[in-house]
Amino acid sequence: MSNEKIVEIRKLSKTIGKKQIIKNLNLDLHKGEITGFLGPNGAGKTTTIRMMVGLMKPTQGDILIGGKSIRTDFEGSIEKVGVIVENPEMYKFMSGYKNLVHFARMHKGVTKARIDEVIQQVGMQNRIKEKVGSYSLGMRQRLGLAQALLNNPEFLILDEPTNGLDPAGIREFRMYLRKVARENDVAIFVSSHLLSEIELLCDRIAIIQNGELIDIKNVNEHQQSRYYIEAKPAEQAKQVLEEIGFTVHPHENGYLIDTEPEHIPGAIKLLTAAGVDLYAVQPHRTTLEDQFLEMTGGGEIAQAHTK
Amino acid sequence: MLKLIQNEWMKLWSKKATWIMAVLLIVILLANAGITKWIESTSPAPEMDWQEMEMMNLASAEDQLQNPDIGPAQQDYYEGQAAIAEYRLANDAEPFKVESLQQQVLDGHMMLSLVTLFTVIVGAGIVASEFSQGTIKMLLTRPVKRWKILTSKYITTMLFALLFAILTFVSIALFSWIFFGVGDGAFLVWNGSEVVEGSYWAEALKLSVLSLASTWMIGTFAFMLGTVFRSSSLAIGVSIFLMFVGVQLVFLLQRFEIVKYYLFTHTDLTQFYTGFMPIPDITMAMSLIVLTVYFLVFMVISYWTFSKRDVTA
Ligand SMILES: Nc1ncnc2c1ncn2[C@@H]1O[C@H](COP(=O)(O)OP(=O)(O)OP(=O)(O)O)[C@@H](O)[C@H]1O
Ligand SMILES: [Mg+2]
Repeated sequence: MSNEKIVEIRKLSKTIGKKQIIKNLNLDLHKGEITGFLGPNGAGKTTTIRMMVGLMKPTQGDILIGGKSIRTDFEGSIEKVGVIVENPEMYKFMSGYKNLVHFARMHKGVTKARIDEVIQQVGMQNRIKEKVGSYSLGMRQRLGLAQALLNNPEFLILDEPTNGLDPAGIREFRMYLRKVARENDVAIFVSSHLLSEIELLCDRIAIIQNGELIDIKNVNEHQQSRYYIEAKPAEQAKQVLEEIGFTVHPHENGYLIDTEPEHIPGAIKLLTAAGVDLYAVQPHRTTLEDQFLEMTGGGEIAQAHTK
Repeated sequence: MLKLIQNEWMKLWSKKATWIMAVLLIVILLANAGITKWIESTSPAPEMDWQEMEMMNLASAEDQLQNPDIGPAQQDYYEGQAAIAEYRLANDAEPFKVESLQQQVLDGHMMLSLVTLFTVIVGAGIVASEFSQGTIKMLLTRPVKRWKILTSKYITTMLFALLFAILTFVSIALFSWIFFGVGDGAFLVWNGSEVVEGSYWAEALKLSVLSLASTWMIGTFAFMLGTVFRSSSLAIGVSIFLMFVGVQLVFLLQRFEIVKYYLFTHTDLTQFYTGFMPIPDITMAMSLIVLTVYFLVFMVISYWTFSKRDVTA
């Protein structure tokens, strides 16, 4: 992964009416890196993304893509960007192929061969000549991805791209994004509600709340290795573990201990020797959801889940 | 830009509605020719021969020339009419019958209001539909400036109008040739000093170019409304309403000075060559200036809103 900066968001603000929707947002995106954009409903994800692709004008601040300002050099900055904003809407009365030809004509140097290549990549070759109106939601998403890839983008912006894909589709989509990020050194910026998906896909996560960027963190940052142990009688198990020298935290029906994997077999032997019945011993990872809830406050995300 | 126009053209003709409009236009023109033929064959032979008709024309033209209220364009027109009628009677030069290819082609420009109607529908929808389909966000996130996209849409609308105008004339010529055939008679024009034979094709072309000014203005107006309000039904409704009511308003406003700056006083440029002028003291130059000013206003409003708007669709 090269660490070359491709996108710079500088002091970005957006006010609509009296409401400040985006507040002084700063963010850099790098080549070959997938950045997740996470936030509760109404946090301002879509608004930020719309400003990044020129659909909305920033009230203040600027966005540089490949060093070119979206405000002063729109054509130059958007040249190497691929975009899916919310559901990719296509011309339903035309075939998928004609839709791609239509968008290809709006870029420089997208050949017929390139169109065929992206159709293969998203696996649409069998249905591409049919009218988009007859496509399922997942097929439209694939076509949406195809149009975003037409111009060999160096930067892909996706707002909730997996909306409507089935689990296999989501998985394929994720593999595909990882592949383009690695092989073509593309920077990817994805917003999503699906925390687990973001966690699996992204290298880095930016969290936005009420229009403010509250945290940027790397996924798979070295986490303290933790184990969850469930045993009966519980009191006795706790005693044994403390005697070995572990710090023991109660968790659900058992305990959490902070330790490295190599100490686990020994601990199990001691527990069994002490006559404790073991029901579960497993590595415990704090999920992104736990972290997300911790950061944004439970109420907000609960709201996000019900919407 | 050529590619953008190509795109718009492709989208336009991928819609069923466009093909329906084309078929409808042809069917209406066919029906029109058919009905004219039917009336001719069922009604008794005219009581007057053409000489008597020309004498009436001459009398009414001379009558008009006595009218102190007519404007300079009308003056020229009726002088020409009188001279031509006299010439026809003196030289036994028969005019075209209504039921002839020639006269149908000469009157063809009156059918261009159909083209205006269809152009309004296309112009109103060409921007608005991108918003209602949600495709506008796909269109504007390309390395193409917004003004270029709007220009390609405007040009496409006008190309559509032109194509339909040509289609109208081809259909009229074809159907009247089938139903009536080429009739006898001569086409005469008054060149200011004498009556000479002219080309009816050239005359038809002149009149239709002049009629297309109205298609152009109303089409541009519908295009602006569609761009500003992003609703094609609203734009179509208002434009068609104005297309009919706007002209009537000219008569209501007749006594006021402001009528001279009113759009619909000037949309019909053929009025300078057909003698019928609600406001007699306007001139062609004045009409062209007024139309140009309206056109520029419509364009500025369209481009301004389209380029500045935040797209949230
Ligand atoms: N045109 C507008 N006028 C006024 N307020 C708006 C407008 N568009 C968005 N907002 C407000 O801006 C805030 C951010 O909206 P945005 O769509 O960016 O949120 P989001 O993070 O994408 O949410 P979601 O997760 O639901 O997609 C919301 O509170 C919304 O109500
Ligand atoms: Mg959103």
